[in-house]
Amino acid sequence: MPADDTFPQRESGPVVRPYAVTGGRTEPADGDVLRLLTVLVATGRPLPTDDPARLAPEHHRLLALCRRQMTLADLAADTALPVGVVRVLMADLTELGAITVVAQRSADQKTGNDVLKEILNGLRAL
Amino acid sequence: MASARSDIHGGAAAVPAFTAHKILVAGGFGAGKTTLVGAISEVRPLQTEEALTTAGIGLDDLSGVGRKTTTTVALDFGRITLGAKIVLYLFGMPGQERFSFMWDELAYGALGAVILADVRRLGDCFPSVNYFETRRLPFVVAVNCFDDAPSYDPQEIRQALDLDPGNPLVLCDARDVASVKGVLITLVETIASRRSAKPGPARGRTAPPQSASRLGH
Repeated sequence: MPADDTFPQRESGPVVRPYAVTGGRTEPADGDVLRLLTVLVATGRPLPTDDPARLAPEHHRLLALCRRQMTLADLAADTALPVGVVRVLMADLTELGAITVVAQRSADQKTGNDVLKEILNGLRAL
Repeated sequence: MASARSDIHGGAAAVPAFTAHKILVAGGFGAGKTTLVGAISEVRPLQTEEALTTAGIGLDDLSGVGRKTTTTVALDFGRITLGAKIVLYLFGMPGQERFSFMWDELAYGALGAVILADVRRLGDCFPSVNYFETRRLPFVVAVNCFDDAPSYDPQEIRQALDLDPGNPLVLCDARDVASVKGVLITLVETIASRRSAKPGPARGRTAPPQSASRLGH
C-alpha cells in the first residue's frame, strides 16, 4: 500500500475546516454582532424555496433548535460548532427573516437591582 | 408541538422567555475553573475558533500544521436556571496572558467575575486581577483550598495580590457545591453593594483609586 493512499490522520487537523460550512466567511453578513448571550428565536417564516443562500445542513439544525429561545452560546454548545461559525450562520438566517433577535445586551447595560436581588434569591435557593 | 410553536410565533415581536446573565470564572491553568463550574452547573465545552496571533508563537506548536491560521480554544460553559425567568451562565476564562485576545468578548456584558487562585501559584491570577481592575468589573478572588496546599492567612493573600478593599477574598473548595454557591453569592452581593454605593454610571471615569476604597469592607 503506497503511503499516499493512507488517510491522513491527526497531523492534518480536522478533515473539514471549521469555516467550511460558512463558505470560508468569518464575518457575519450583516453588521450586528451577535454576542455569546444574545437570545435568538425562529420567526416561523419559511425559508426561500429557491435557496439563494445555499443553506447548509447546519443552518437547518440551528433553525430547528431555535423553535425555543436560545442564546448563541447554547447553540454553539448544542451543535458542537465553534462560536464564530454559529455567529455567521445565525446572521445568514436573520437576514433571511427566519431568525430574530429577542434580547441583545449593550456593553454598558447595567443589570437592575431587582434582577440582582432575584439572582441572589435564586442562588440562595439552590 | 403545534401549540408550543404558536406560543412562540404568535406575537409579532418575541417577548424574552428568560434573561441571560453572565459570570466569568477566571484564573490560571489548573486553578480549578472546570471543577468550580462543574460543581454548580452542568458543564459543556464551548468551542471557539480563534485566529492565531503572534501571542501564540513559540507556545502553540505549529510544526507540521502547515498553513493553519486558526486555533480552537475550548471553554467551560455552565448554565444555572434560577427561577422561571433568569438563567445564569458561567464561562471559564483562560487566565494565561496569551488568551487575552478573547477576554474582551468574554467580558462583554458580564456581571462580574470569580478569580480562582491557587496559593502555590498565586502569580497565575495576576493577569486576571489586572484585567478586571482595569475594566472596573466587580470580582471576587476565591482561593481554592487544595488538600495539599499550605494554608495562609487570607489577609496575607490579599496583600500579596494588592487587592482593593472593594474586592472580597474568600476561601473555597471548588468541588463543593455549597462552597461555590457561597462564592457566587458573595460576588453578586459585591455587585449590588457597588451599585448602591455609586448611583451614577461609571462611564467616562478614568481614575480608579478613591471610589473603590470608599466601599471599605
